[in-house]
Amino acid sequence: MNANLILMLYIVPMVVGFLFMTPIGATMTRSLTDRYSWMKHERRRHMFGLNLVVFVGFAISVHTTWIGNKISEGGSVCASASLFSCDDVIGNPLYNTDPLFGISWGMLGMLAFGALFFLTRTVGKELDARWAESYLNIGFYLTAAGLLVIALLVSYEIEMQKICQYCTTAHAANLVALFGFWKARQMHEHGTWNDRDGEAAATTSSKPASVK
Amino acid sequence: MKALKHDTEADVRGDTAIQVGALFFVALILLAFTTDPVATGTREGDRAPALEGKAYNGSGWTDFDLNDYLTPDWQSNDSSAAWVVVDFMDTDCPYCVRAAGDVYQYSNYFMKYPDNNGEIGWRGPLVKFIGSATQLDISGHESSQQEIEDFRDRSGDSECAGSPCSSRDGSTHQFTYIDDLDQDNMKAWKIGGTPTYFVLQPDGIVAWVSTEHPEETVADAIFRLTEELIE
Repeated sequence: MNANLILMLYIVPMVVGFLFMTPIGATMTRSLTDRYSWMKHERRRHMFGLNLVVFVGFAISVHTTWIGNKISEGGSVCASASLFSCDDVIGNPLYNTDPLFGISWGMLGMLAFGALFFLTRTVGKELDARWAESYLNIGFYLTAAGLLVIALLVSYEIEMQKICQYCTTAHAANLVALFGFWKARQMHEHGTWNDRDGEAAATTSSKPASVK
Repeated sequence: MKALKHDTEADVRGDTAIQVGALFFVALILLAFTTDPVATGTREGDRAPALEGKAYNGSGWTDFDLNDYLTPDWQSNDSSAAWVVVDFMDTDCPYCVRAAGDVYQYSNYFMKYPDNNGEIGWRGPLVKFIGSATQLDISGHESSQQEIEDFRDRSGDSECAGSPCSSRDGSTHQFTYIDDLDQDNMKAWKIGGTPTYFVLQPDGIVAWVSTEHPEETVADAIFRLTEELIE
């Protein structure tokens, strides 16, 4: 299958996850709330979206590691003469490992997104736990630190004059996750981190037509 | 255990840690079963790093990419694919100038050029030679593309290690020389000094490095490595 087509398998769920974290998520899920009651609540939709995005980040990091391994075997996965050629980027030994530990960037992505997935999964399961807010803060700082790594990797791509589309999708997942953690912190600060929104909406919508 | 009895939040994090750990483990298993990675480097058994740049082949300067010389799906019993020798040298390095005569003989022999009697002596797989000419950070080692041309062609007015390049040992080298005056390739290949020779299998795996076998010549190494492929 075409490498760019496979990429859509990551991009589509990531976009869906992002939409779940925005007001569009409420519109998208309106018809499903009778069946899935948790979708009534903004913070639950938000955590579902964040979990999805972070999982996509993890999956694409695994795929990037796989591509790196295949290239080292002498294979070609997504080589291209055009600007978009992940083989040229992931296969470049001068840039394909982190400068501190020599770990491949894909493996580093797996570790980072694995840690983020732990944070989002635990918070998603226990939204009102006393550690939930601090876990969201850790996630925010982790993804913010990821911006520095992204800047370094983009500088490598500029130097090589090639773009790795898989790496870029992983970078996008980090950015969307940063937005997700930031918004969750905002909800805590504004006192909207609760399930009251859904209940209010349910009460309003279930009010008999005659009562006006 | 006590914590689990009294702290109802403990199990959520524990369960999730196990789940995420299992996911990570599954990913590693998947990678282990579907790939067989080879480290990129310049030790024997590693996949050779990229070798790129402008190269002089006797008629002009063109783009060079080592990948064009390789056969990625090479099988070890295939004698039709070409092996590669990479010679990291400096046109002002006295050892490199002295070795030029041997390099001339080896390259002509293994690249299957006819000898003085019009015969081809080598019955093993074709071995392509590549020179990567750098400029070491030593006073008096200033070089140029013109000097690389003169060294390769054994001609011109340039000086190689204090003597005219046109008087170096051997005759014209019939192989390509890459311009590595900026030392990019030299750094990527972690070259400590010149000359350094690498013998690459057709699939790009480093089969022999001169620094690891100071007692063996490039020719002896090729004979040994391709022993089973000689017709």
